[in-house]
Amino acid sequence: MKQKNGGWIALFLAPACILFILIFAIPLVMVFVTSLFDYRLLPRTFTFVGFSNFIQLFTEDNRFWPIFGNTVKWLFIHCIFHVTLGTLLAFILYKKPRGWKFVRVTYMIPNIISQSAIAMIFLNLYNAQYGAVNSFLKLIGLESLQHNWLFETATAFPSVTLTWFLFAGYTTTLVLAQLLSTDESLIEAAEIDGATSFQIDRLVMFPVVKKMIGTTVIMAATYMLQLFSMLYITTGGGPGTDTTNLPLYLYTTVKANNYGYANTIGVVIILLGFVTMTLIRKIFGMNKED
Amino acid sequence: MLTHYKRTPTQKVARGFSYLFMALCVCVALFPIIWVVLSSFKTNSEIFSNGLSLPSHFSFDGYVQALEIAPILKFFANSLIIATITTILNVFCLAMAGYVFAKKRFRFKNTIYAILSLSMVIPTTALMSPVYNIITKLGLYDTKFALILVYTALNMPISLMVLRSAFASIPTELEEAAYIDGAGFFRTFIQVMMPCAKGGLASAAVLTFLESWNEFTFALLLTSSTDNRTLPLSLSYFTSQFSFNYTAMFAAITIAVLPSIIVFAIFQEQVNASLTAGSVKG
Repeated sequence: MKQKNGGWIALFLAPACILFILIFAIPLVMVFVTSLFDYRLLPRTFTFVGFSNFIQLFTEDNRFWPIFGNTVKWLFIHCIFHVTLGTLLAFILYKKPRGWKFVRVTYMIPNIISQSAIAMIFLNLYNAQYGAVNSFLKLIGLESLQHNWLFETATAFPSVTLTWFLFAGYTTTLVLAQLLSTDESLIEAAEIDGATSFQIDRLVMFPVVKKMIGTTVIMAATYMLQLFSMLYITTGGGPGTDTTNLPLYLYTTVKANNYGYANTIGVVIILLGFVTMTLIRKIFGMNKED
Repeated sequence: MLTHYKRTPTQKVARGFSYLFMALCVCVALFPIIWVVLSSFKTNSEIFSNGLSLPSHFSFDGYVQALEIAPILKFFANSLIIATITTILNVFCLAMAGYVFAKKRFRFKNTIYAILSLSMVIPTTALMSPVYNIITKLGLYDTKFALILVYTALNMPISLMVLRSAFASIPTELEEAAYIDGAGFFRTFIQVMMPCAKGGLASAAVLTFLESWNEFTFALLLTSSTDNRTLPLSLSYFTSQFSFNYTAMFAAITIAVLPSIIVFAIFQEQVNASLTAGSVKG
């Protein structure tokens, strides 16, 4: 039986393997290999230059470290505060207060619609002339606080961060699902022992969802490492490089026909991702399969 | 059920805080969208005189103009075609792979699975440049097929995980019974295993469809013409065309956003279940 099925098994695996090779494996090898080349099209250049792309990136390119810094800052903010926000709401909702289902559904909406639509909405909300933020400040007589939020150095970074920071519906949904699937007798036993609801949350429920929180932190990190449309549409990375992250820098480098250098940035993104994921798995004790 | 506490003052404060927090979250999620929808009914001068005023009367002029200025319906159709074909292709290919990984024994099984799982930990933005080069080399630049191919692959990791565990949870006896009844490998898969894995198939389909419906980065990178660009791109694409017609721009955003919200409102239980399935062991 096993022998006879060999052909079928190969056939069933083939599409997935071909896709993997074409879109993941070959590109991955290309990223690492061509990061060592001066690689351009028009005019076609493909010269081995050793580590000089990396040396240029780390020591000569004065855009790189601020951009790297932004990426890491956003990683931290998202993994810690964004996930805390979503988890906090999940811990409120699992006690099923009135309207909890409505809150769960509505809070998820911004995560379901496309990022580019959210970006367009915020581009308008923050608009200097007719945006809701400045209109509100005018309404309450605080016109002195008005800004061109997305395009001034002082406000661009925090303003653009808010366009994704507040929407933790994903985290809430996942943590809530885990909380709701927990055996209620666990909570009842703690209540009989005289635990307050805060103690139950902290000592009984939190350990139950710790791994799920770890998962959402990994998703948050992945999201930040892929963050592109929100920046491209709103600030375009500016002013200067104030709101540029590594993917946006990579994209502009590709568009500037400098593929070797773009892939050097790609290597940095991959390594940053690897380090971040390893760290998160360690912190949340997710290393062991279970 | 869980909420039969005796309420002390502290708990009353906690309850108050809970409701306040819930209200804030709802406002944060809904205000931006409601603001856009309301603005789409205002005239240009109303928008400029007061960004927070309500529309003086409801007219759909903005929507008519938006559809005239931008081929939104074309973009909509492109998105629909690309997301649908991607979903079918992705779910079918990875159902085959997931089934084999879950139910069959063969050499290098764990090694192959481990290698394929690698795709889960690579930030795909890092692959922008080579994917662009490969697609161009294959002569697929600015085609719908390029996006279908790339999206099918990008959604591989999660679908593979969801579908493998879906097939793994089907009792092996069912499969053996089918073989004894004389069904071959392929028929067993299609007629016995696929129907049993319905839940997993639906989850993978929902996740893939949402991802490819909303994807922006690779769509921007790999397409250039109206014939092939998708809905998420259309919005930023038309900022310039919409300058000075803000009513139409707000209408365009509404047109882009509303279908997703309606579909989500109808299928939210399924979507939530899919998201949860996609995260297990992720």
